[in-house]
Amino acid sequence: MNGKDNIEEFLREHKPQVKDDPTFLLETQRRMKQVEGIKAEVDRQRSHGRITLIVTLIIGIVIGAVATFIGYICPFSPDKENAGIFASVLLFMTTWKQFFFILLAALSVSLSLLLSRTRTQ
Amino acid sequence: MTRERFIDLVRTEQEPLRRFLLGLCSGNASLADDIAQDALVRAYVASGSFLGLSKFSTWLFRIAYNCFIDHCRKSTLDTVSSESFEVQSVLSDDSTDDAFRYQQLYQALDRIPEKERAAIVLHYFEDHDIKEISSIMQIPSGTVKYLLSTGRNHLKDFLSL
Repeated sequence: MNGKDNIEEFLREHKPQVKDDPTFLLETQRRMKQVEGIKAEVDRQRSHGRITLIVTLIIGIVIGAVATFIGYICPFSPDKENAGIFASVLLFMTTWKQFFFILLAALSVSLSLLLSRTRTQ
Repeated sequence: MTRERFIDLVRTEQEPLRRFLLGLCSGNASLADDIAQDALVRAYVASGSFLGLSKFSTWLFRIAYNCFIDHCRKSTLDTVSSESFEVQSVLSDDSTDDAFRYQQLYQALDRIPEKERAAIVLHYFEDHDIKEISSIMQIPSGTVKYLLSTGRNHLKDFLSL
């Protein structure tokens, strides 16, 4: 019991002495500012990436919808003799429309993913 | 929580926090301050999650303790402990005998396990009760009492009191 009292007394009498350091809080604030900067930049890039993704997706949908619309509204008679470039494109789209739309969708998704990744790096 | 508000809260807590870490780091002031700053930055980032269920100081000490544990996991303190005793001897304004006592204390603290050291430092240097220590270290009250008892016994052996 006496030993316990001794050690307790010794510990209470020998509390560590902290040297007064005015730079401590300044350095802490500096680190906080750095963290705030990093956090703001990450948030900004994340938001930018999200916007890019949405915009690219919308563009993809619009292009796909327009292509589908043209494909169905302008039925093409395969008269290759009179066909101009536009008609050739329409022929190609009509003939390979499923393949074309899948390719367009894949490109759109790839582009949106690529852009969002590049922005957040 | 804004940075200014957080700094205001921290202003009153910085000295106990630094003293706590100084004890945990066995007198290595620069390491203690480095961990303290790391802890404060972590606390600031997580300040949105502070719900006020415990005292601000308890919450801050818990983060500081976790930072110290992380530091211990990353590196052993053995390599820095010899340097720490020199630091403390310079810091002490008291007599040479007292400075020697501090050296002895830090050497002894350095030799006991980290959990015992944390319990001893919180109880005897920071005057926290068992319940608060239990909350800071996230261990049951019974374990805190056990750590205090074994810590005292170990220190008694090393300090030859």
